[in-house]
Amino acid sequence: MKKVSKILCVFAALFFLFTIAATPVIAENIKVGVVLPLTGKLAKFGEIENKSFLMAVKEINAAGGINGKKIDLIIEDTTGKPDVGRSAIEKLISQDKVIVVGGGYSSSVTWASVAVAQQHKIPFLVNTGSADRITEQGWNYIFRLNPPVSEYPKGFASFLQNVAKDVKTVAILHENSLFGQSGSKKFAKQCKSLGINVMMKEGYEAGAIDFKPLLVKVKAKNPDLVYMISYIMDAAMLIRQSKELDMNAKLFVGGAAGFTLPEFQKNVGAGSDYVFSATLWVPSAPYPGAQAYYDKFVAKYKTPTEYHGAEAYAAMYVIADALKRAKSLTPEAVREALAKTDMMTAFGPVKFVSYGKKTQQNSLPTFLVQWQKAKLETVWPENVSTAKYVYPVPKWNER
Amino acid sequence: MEVFLQTLVAGILKGGLYGLIGIGMTMIMGVMGIINLAHGQLMMVGMYVTFVCFHYMGIDPYIALFISMPALFLLGMVLQKYLLNPLMEVESILPENQVLMTVGIGMVLTEIARFIFSSDYKSVQTSYSSSSFFVGDISFSVALTIAFFIAVAFTVFMFWFLIKTDLGRSIRATAQDKDAALLMGVNSKRITIITFGIGSALVAAAGTLLMPIYYLFPDIGGPFTRKAFVITILGGLGSTVGAIFGGVTLGLAEAFGATYIGMAFDDMIGLLIFILVLLFLPGGFKRLTKI
Amino acid sequence: MKKHSPILALAILIIFPMVVKSHYHQHLMILFLMWVVIGSGWNVIAGFTGQVSFGDAAFFGTGAYTAGLFATKLGLSAWWGMVFGGVAAMAIAFPFGWICFRLRGAYFALATLALNEIFRHAATIWESLTDGMVGILIMQTFVSKIPYYYIALGLAVISVLTVQIVMGSKWGYYFVSIREDQDAAESLGIHTHFYKMISLNIAAFLTGMAGALFMNYMGFIDPEVVFSLHDISIMAILVGIVGGVGTVYGPVVGAFIMVGVHEFFRTGFFGVFEGIASITGIEFLNVVDKYVGHAHVLGFGILVVLVILLLPNGVVGDWDKLVGSLIPIKKKGAMV
Repeated sequence: MKKVSKILCVFAALFFLFTIAATPVIAENIKVGVVLPLTGKLAKFGEIENKSFLMAVKEINAAGGINGKKIDLIIEDTTGKPDVGRSAIEKLISQDKVIVVGGGYSSSVTWASVAVAQQHKIPFLVNTGSADRITEQGWNYIFRLNPPVSEYPKGFASFLQNVAKDVKTVAILHENSLFGQSGSKKFAKQCKSLGINVMMKEGYEAGAIDFKPLLVKVKAKNPDLVYMISYIMDAAMLIRQSKELDMNAKLFVGGAAGFTLPEFQKNVGAGSDYVFSATLWVPSAPYPGAQAYYDKFVAKYKTPTEYHGAEAYAAMYVIADALKRAKSLTPEAVREALAKTDMMTAFGPVKFVSYGKKTQQNSLPTFLVQWQKAKLETVWPENVSTAKYVYPVPKWNER
Repeated sequence: MEVFLQTLVAGILKGGLYGLIGIGMTMIMGVMGIINLAHGQLMMVGMYVTFVCFHYMGIDPYIALFISMPALFLLGMVLQKYLLNPLMEVESILPENQVLMTVGIGMVLTEIARFIFSSDYKSVQTSYSSSSFFVGDISFSVALTIAFFIAVAFTVFMFWFLIKTDLGRSIRATAQDKDAALLMGVNSKRITIITFGIGSALVAAAGTLLMPIYYLFPDIGGPFTRKAFVITILGGLGSTVGAIFGGVTLGLAEAFGATYIGMAFDDMIGLLIFILVLLFLPGGFKRLTKI
Repeated sequence: MKKHSPILALAILIIFPMVVKSHYHQHLMILFLMWVVIGSGWNVIAGFTGQVSFGDAAFFGTGAYTAGLFATKLGLSAWWGMVFGGVAAMAIAFPFGWICFRLRGAYFALATLALNEIFRHAATIWESLTDGMVGILIMQTFVSKIPYYYIALGLAVISVLTVQIVMGSKWGYYFVSIREDQDAAESLGIHTHFYKMISLNIAAFLTGMAGALFMNYMGFIDPEVVFSLHDISIMAILVGIVGGVGTVYGPVVGAFIMVGVHEFFRTGFFGVFEGIASITGIEFLNVVDKYVGHAHVLGFGILVVLVILLLPNGVVGDWDKLVGSLIPIKKKGAMV
């Protein structure tokens, strides 16, 4: 066993060396932590949010920071996995000693991380993770900027009640993730309350090559509405293969995420026209700074942004605002300041309220967009629309 | 009835592509007994090659076949020669080291792809990407149908290759009994290198044919590796014809499972079949045929 | 010295949390100890008995979900899972072994891989039991990491001792004989199937307990995390192989290396580059740090490839070779 002890000693020494090697601390800066998936499957959106956070913090620091102090943004990669997410937020809290955390992309990673923040009593402003239960636990250190997934179709529901009144049946397709499973359940409930019959609700493993077996069942049932909760590539495949099968419906609607990205249109081509999607934000939204944010982002990073980026950008401003108002730069004081937030951001108004089972949740309207001639137009509510909706959508062979 | 027929067609067409993925692996497993857990990643590399050809050089995927296949052939040979063959010489307690090596290789390939191309989804949009033709009420995807026929063509070609050519026979000899083949003057090291190359080239072909109708990102390899195993075991190690039958069987099982049980189950069906075959038909379809 | 060195290492581990207060490092050590348990379990069935399993996540996940379900469905503390997690995993081991042990070598490995995936899918789809992808979330019993550390340490010590005792016993000889030549062993009258089952049960029990610990410590699990082929099963194999299969302390070294290296790469060499950059003001190092951070999995993968290529018997198995190549002058006699 001699060699083993030698090995262990060598490694122990190396390890302690690194333990002691501390990252030099620049005093006087306010430390804000952010958890995002910078690598892994969700990296694309993580990158958009990352860039938005950085853009916002640069603007805030340039404008004088927080009462003269600069914000030090420490961004940790969750790699899109809940256990790594927990390690990441643990590191931010215990090693970097941040006083507030932002970010939180995937629902399951966020769900795993907020528990840590609550336990350590560090305020966490979630800006993307959408599973309802995140703000249904009564955790007073957790705030959410974005609407929960059950509210994503709010704008769409209003459309159904006012315009598409003849929709009586729906087929719900969703990916088997936390986002898909919970979102589909909530939507099914809403359909029931709207008097729409849910003919089928089926989940699938993301990444399938061939959705035809699933779609041919939908075609056989012939629902008025096909509602899909998918990430971008599955979304593209679903629409493309619906076209291949010549499966028609009065409405094809996406439950956000995949259907609003430019990649969706690029992938599906002409078939993407007339597909609706619920969305949380559009550049033309009636919030000051919305379009400006979009233009600034594109100018700086030469790539488009969408609602995730707006969430991150706005979140940074909300955090900065709370930091300014906080009585002292401690987590408890920041929490108190956050709870009293009442401001307008590029993502919309932010005020944390409690309703139903939810606490400290921001409540926002959502929009309905539709692809028309390869452009994403806002079609509902009418007062913010950029184009008129097309309903019912023309059949595949009539286009 | 339409549901049944459409599912049947979907399963068979998908199965052709699956068979092509499986042929590469069955050769590698049959000849060298190597479980190649990087198979899906090799396909991914082939797909990136296709992507680059299309986006930067305007080459249609069907033409790109002639580029991706040789490229992966070379890559496969290099990997076998420098990373896998050395392992076969070393005395180690467990022979499974080479499996882990393939895991490492797969990881490295994925990350290099991520480094170069980022995690963004890439795709190749051709005129036939979404087109389909109808026989009665049943829709046939153009791209998948062409892929099916190409897969069959490759299978026939490999069948001929293994039986009629010297190289092919050497490969089969090495697969049957490496030491005996050595005694007969077959350079088994060279054979393993070439076989790995062929296997990689075939899976690259599958990837290239898949590009127009699917999409691409660095982590795409994993599920395909698993499917390749199921197909290989179904068809029988080393059996090219078995691979096509295995592929079609898997395609049909997934399609029918998705339609009649639920799409969330389609992966499970494949896995269950896998276990059942392992238990009750250990040689795979090969047992029922001759090669 | 020979006999006392593991005691020395143990002593260091015992006083560790009292010396190093950083939560982050305690967290890493807890992960390390957990992997010692999993790695030891895998080593029993694979390293010693020669049945290379690619499906240990099935046991891990079962243990984790047992603990979690005790909390959510039965309203009891998840700590009961520590007791029953191992047992539940053993229950799984029976059909697992029954299916897989009729196969050999590559086929066995593939079958375990398939079973692993079946478990993962089942956990995702069977929403009424497991809540699917919502996962299971519990509030941890202790805020401080120290109790978890000592529990993990206890488990790790138990696993290493178990392996040592078992391998020194008659069972151990049977296991190794199965590994070396199963047919010869069978012909000598050793009930190979029976002993393979025992070996698998030991592995399952240890791994299941590790899973239950994970549930209690992490507070959150979902099918993707605990039944993960890549992050659990393959990691277990790496821990075993990198450390040294068929050695009692191999998994300890392997776990240390894998956890340490993984985090090392993820944080960009523990922020060394960043640190040096801010001290010296060399911008270039910040760029390097960013690239290393982005390519951390790549670095990890390359390391795996290199270790397998150059140290096929693991660090412990090939220790002499490793030392010999690093310190060429110290060679005393013949090369080893």
